[in-house]
Amino acid sequence: MIESVVIFSALTLILGLILGYAAIRFKVEGNPLVDQIDSILPQTQCGQCDYPGCRPYAEALAKGEAQINQCPPGGQEGADALAELLDVETLELNAEHGETKPDHVVYVDEKLCIGCTLCIQACPVDAFVGSSKVMTTVIAKECTGCDLCIPVCPVDCIYTNELKPTLGTYVPDLKELARG
Amino acid sequence: MANYTFKGGIHIPNPYPVERPEIKQAPLPEQAVLLLQQRVGGEAKPCVEIGERVLTGQIIAQTTGSLPTNVHASISGVISAIEKRPIPHPSGIDAMCIVIDSDGKDEWANIKRCDKDFLNCSAEEVTQQIREAGIVGMGGAGFPTHAKITNAEGAHTLIVNATECEPGIMCDDSLMQEYPREIVRGIEVLMHACGAKKAIIAIEDDKPEALNSLLMYNFNDRISVEQIPTKYTSGAEKLLIKTLLGVEIPPGAYASEHGILCQNVGTVKAIYDAVIDSKPLISRVVTVTGSAVKSPRNYEARLGTSFATVVKYSEPNDQEHHIRMGGMMMGVDIPNPDYSICKITNCIFVNNKESKPVVKECIRCSSCATVCPANLLPQQLYWHAKSENIKKALDYHLMDCIECGCCNYVCPSNIPLAEYFTFAKALDRKLKFEEQKTDQSRERFEFREYRLERNKKERAEMMAAKKKALKEKMAKDKEKNQEQEDKIAQAMARVKKSKEDNA
Amino acid sequence: MHSTGLNTNQIMRQVIYALILGVGASYVFFGWGVLLQIVLGVLSALVVESVFVALRGRNVMDSITDGSAVLTAILLAISIPTIAPWWIVVVGVAFAIVFGKQLYGGLGNNPFNPAMLGYAFLLISYPLQMTTWPVDFLSFSQAVDEVFNLLNFDGISGATRLDDVKTSLSLGSDIATLQVRSISQAWINIGFLAGGVYLLARKIIFWHIPVAVLSGILVMALLISMFDSQQHLPVQNHLILGGTMLGAFFIATDPVSASTTPKGRLIYGFLIGVLIVIIRAYGGYPDGVAFAVLLMNMTVPLIDYYTQPKAFGRS
Repeated sequence: MIESVVIFSALTLILGLILGYAAIRFKVEGNPLVDQIDSILPQTQCGQCDYPGCRPYAEALAKGEAQINQCPPGGQEGADALAELLDVETLELNAEHGETKPDHVVYVDEKLCIGCTLCIQACPVDAFVGSSKVMTTVIAKECTGCDLCIPVCPVDCIYTNELKPTLGTYVPDLKELARG
Repeated sequence: MANYTFKGGIHIPNPYPVERPEIKQAPLPEQAVLLLQQRVGGEAKPCVEIGERVLTGQIIAQTTGSLPTNVHASISGVISAIEKRPIPHPSGIDAMCIVIDSDGKDEWANIKRCDKDFLNCSAEEVTQQIREAGIVGMGGAGFPTHAKITNAEGAHTLIVNATECEPGIMCDDSLMQEYPREIVRGIEVLMHACGAKKAIIAIEDDKPEALNSLLMYNFNDRISVEQIPTKYTSGAEKLLIKTLLGVEIPPGAYASEHGILCQNVGTVKAIYDAVIDSKPLISRVVTVTGSAVKSPRNYEARLGTSFATVVKYSEPNDQEHHIRMGGMMMGVDIPNPDYSICKITNCIFVNNKESKPVVKECIRCSSCATVCPANLLPQQLYWHAKSENIKKALDYHLMDCIECGCCNYVCPSNIPLAEYFTFAKALDRKLKFEEQKTDQSRERFEFREYRLERNKKERAEMMAAKKKALKEKMAKDKEKNQEQEDKIAQAMARVKKSKEDNA
Repeated sequence: MHSTGLNTNQIMRQVIYALILGVGASYVFFGWGVLLQIVLGVLSALVVESVFVALRGRNVMDSITDGSAVLTAILLAISIPTIAPWWIVVVGVAFAIVFGKQLYGGLGNNPFNPAMLGYAFLLISYPLQMTTWPVDFLSFSQAVDEVFNLLNFDGISGATRLDDVKTSLSLGSDIATLQVRSISQAWINIGFLAGGVYLLARKIIFWHIPVAVLSGILVMALLISMFDSQQHLPVQNHLILGGTMLGAFFIATDPVSASTTPKGRLIYGFLIGVLIVIIRAYGGYPDGVAFAVLLMNMTVPLIDYYTQPKAFGRS
């Protein structure tokens, strides 16, 4: 009886030492979780999640202060991917934060623009080119579709253009394939 | 006979054999719809306008870049539209096309003829002529031929791919039977352009007439005609090189890096037309076959002719059809015959519509792995593609897959494996594109944050500096005021004193 | 375009047909028992599979007509004693279908061979019923009586020949003095061997696994006979006794639970053969096919990972 106690205590001690050593020797530096979460988020920087940008939301998620279903541009796939990364149950997108709109960019109707620069200041990724009393336009390649510029425009001259799949971004439908 | 072979591949009996394949000249189309989207090189920019009259062989569009590929008018007539039209791509996405309404005259443009014999031109001059004629790989790859030749400069062997391994297609077979002299001459032109000292024409052993035809007209002892065993995917460039020379070109590398240039025999004929006859690429041979056509035949048709026109000449039946551009293994299903023949259309299959077989689960029998010519594990790629785990699929060498469809052919559960791999590759491309975009957005956002911080700091410093300057100024002013007051007080005191003194 | 070869349903059917000779041999020597077990097993399989596929929300007809559940039932019914009570085969098949196939997602998704999973479950849970074999030919009425436990017949049951020999050897008998011939078992094995050769000829199974299993058995049996021969069976008997041929040609070759690469299949089959002999010689069970197969099923992902073929052009 005493032998088994001794043996198991010794085993516990040895294994504990090995685990402790491994925890120190193979420790991962920094907090890669925030980076991992940030790489899943769509970088639209729209603030619909109630955080001022994607990185603050990622930090909040890592700390456990936010839910995974607050990001409409990421869509349900984004929420599912976050659930998988954080090893939690997946949630349906919270409609309070907005609805998922199809991929789009914005453009300025130049007939109406008055050069007030309010949109330039609102854009989180500096996708506008323009200046005070000078015609403003959007660099479509940089636009993330966050729509923060649309409500601030005093003459309502910013509209959306849906992005259609091109030959380079077309992906066949998986469900069609499964049906044969 | 070839000394080597590659693992895998399948033997498919020709579903619609023809007694003697010949080429019929298709009549001039009433309208030619010419694709501007090139398979490699992006979209060509038109250099004509709507309403302009163009002549056959006139350049009407060019791709941008340092070595532009040309698109020529295939008939003479008036440009009636430059607009988006459906193109034979599984996505159904429209792309820009130029539409020419024929004037029936087929008037040729004045094309500058090279007055020297090609052997007296330099290799660069010959390659330049090939480029100006707008020649691309006619076997279906569509790669600009001039670029391939330039990359293969100093090659030691030219391989002419006359295998036509996909069953049912017979355009190359009939080209070799009807134009053997031109083909041999075209090979000589190509050898001169790339510098190869040796050429091998590879033909599958189910085409003995084509073999004999070439043997009869080949008097060049640097060109040899080799028969290889008939096996599907023996015509894939890297597999053909393995069969003939025993060399395995690694994935990601090009045959040109190993001193080998490989060209389809149809491309070779087009090179002959361009360099010897100064004719740009405006027509090609297309096989029309299938279970729904009474007489499978080859047609030489002008580019831009609609599929429906040539299919009509083959007497299709009245049933519902299922149309495919390309071969039965690697072709593209298209919904209707209103598309037009482009430079890479080698075959049009018109089959009676059949119900699709039921797809069952994978039973891990590995028949697919047994026949895969790239020696991959299609079942692994399938499981990872199905669960959209692209990273794992890439680990199993997804990008080595040539999408030949051998795995589809043998799967007992009728799983469309090659389509899953196309899906996985498309998904990978899309994800990489999106990743690049989000990285850029993140960078711009972070820079903006930094910029705003910096502006704030600069403003604060400026304000602090201003404040300091103001304070100093006020202090100085105060001093000056004090001085003034002092002077006034002194003056007042002097006046007072002088007054007192005078009293 | 598709090859005109067999599709999945047809493959399953061909495997079922190939079992006929072995089953016939079993009938000739041991009577109606085996056929009764097969009928009961197939009925149980169809019912259980239909219920589960319906619960999973999939198409029931597609599932039960593909032949895989029937094949599992037949393989299990052949492996158990022919006079086992009726509820043995019913419960065993139900366990095999539910825990060995449906819970993993149906056909193609199970890591373990369902028939062997069912057999192992039965062996561990009901050891007495699973080791009581008939000694003589049973007529139809006798078989019905035994299986449905209508009358208690003594004297017509006992252990298998293999079990007998093993027990005798462990009690100290000399191998040379035992009559190790068992005509019935030999003929049954020959029947399954013939079926297996038929499947090979029709290219429904490939040579890698059967050849590897038989080689594994031979090699291990040879090793044992060289170092420990007095206590154990001679080499050749391993091939004709027990479930050797059934295991090599029908059970280990189940494509869903076996390795998928050619090299992998050779390793998988060989180690199954080795394990079968080890369990027979040193283990507590008379025949080791079921456990050997299940153990190797566990190692399949590892074997597959390390036996990937070299892709074209890669060194």
